[in-house]
Amino acid sequence: MKWLAGIAAISAAAAAVVIYAGLYDVSATDQHLAPTYRLLDIAMKRAVRRRASNIEVPELGRPAQVQRGLALYRSHCVQCHGAPGVAPEPFALGLTPAPANLAYTAREWPAADLFWVVKEGLKMTGMPAWKHRMDDDEIWALVAFLQELPRLSPADYRSREAQRVAASAPAPLAAADAGRGRMTLNQYACVTCHAIPGVVGANAPVGPPLAGIGARGFIAGVLPNTSHNMVRWLRSPQSVDPLSAMPDLGVSEQDARDIAAYLSTLK
Amino acid sequence: MRLIVLLCLVLYGCGEAKRPVVEGDPERGRLLLRQFGCGACHGIPGVADAQGKVGPPLAGVARRVYLGGVLPNTPQNMARWIRAPQEFDPPTVMPDLQVTPEHARDMVAYLYTLE
Repeated sequence: MKWLAGIAAISAAAAAVVIYAGLYDVSATDQHLAPTYRLLDIAMKRAVRRRASNIEVPELGRPAQVQRGLALYRSHCVQCHGAPGVAPEPFALGLTPAPANLAYTAREWPAADLFWVVKEGLKMTGMPAWKHRMDDDEIWALVAFLQELPRLSPADYRSREAQRVAASAPAPLAAADAGRGRMTLNQYACVTCHAIPGVVGANAPVGPPLAGIGARGFIAGVLPNTSHNMVRWLRSPQSVDPLSAMPDLGVSEQDARDIAAYLSTLK
Repeated sequence: MRLIVLLCLVLYGCGEAKRPVVEGDPERGRLLLRQFGCGACHGIPGVADAQGKVGPPLAGVARRVYLGGVLPNTPQNMARWIRAPQEFDPPTVMPDLQVTPEHARDMVAYLYTLE
């Protein structure tokens, strides 16, 4: 048993040396080793399958739904994934892993898995979670469009994208939920500028730390700290203080209420 | 295990960023922060009774990127902000406490020790 502990200690020390000496190449130009790529791909697909297995797939493929999905695809997806006859934007070509061609993915993957990935995103790839940007109906519309994608010629795609659709009515508001707010903070990249207890990330001191924000008298030095004002501030900082460096992140009313509920717990 | 911990500590120390040179007397600044009642609104490490929760805590303020959420944080800008906050952010509740340039410089010298 003693030699086993010895091997473990040596391995840990070797790993520490590799990490702290900066030997692992994190550049996006350095491709993964083939076995690493294969392993990560399997891990990703298995993880998605497991989490998507309980998702109930609604009826997909109504023309209006597909058309709505196309509009969403044009605003949110084509930039990285391209479309029939359309290349991804230059910045997307520099990503590692490269964003998938979805005509192929949509043909191979079950609808529930597509839905889950769009909604939750994929850690350590460029794939964002869209759950705070789109509601479930919109994501299903997107999935319905993805299922059409392998059957669309470049000419079909161009003629379909010319058509327009109206947006749906917003979802009704739920009660503010601090637990959901903590998860939501991550989805608006708040930790890239603020240190926030309970949120893992850069926690950079661009703005003030949010430890104790629940007990702080003023928001941004200008607005009395009430939950109503916090929601107002989160949704539109410049309407409160035009000079503020805090950007308007397009936070929805529901998300702002949840985030405010979490922040109020940080005493 | 001890080796790893040691290694981590040694290598962690290598990432220090360059800090600006700050004029003024930090010790006098610390006393001035108390004299001007800054602690009524801000938590300030090292300043007696400075436990205020009206504005943001000043622990780590030397590394913060913006002052008052509006002004890039340099020693010069911090001194100007302390002397005339409304000049840089009219709606701010931080009051103009009639701090002299010399006093502001000393306060900044202390605040820049708070990393």
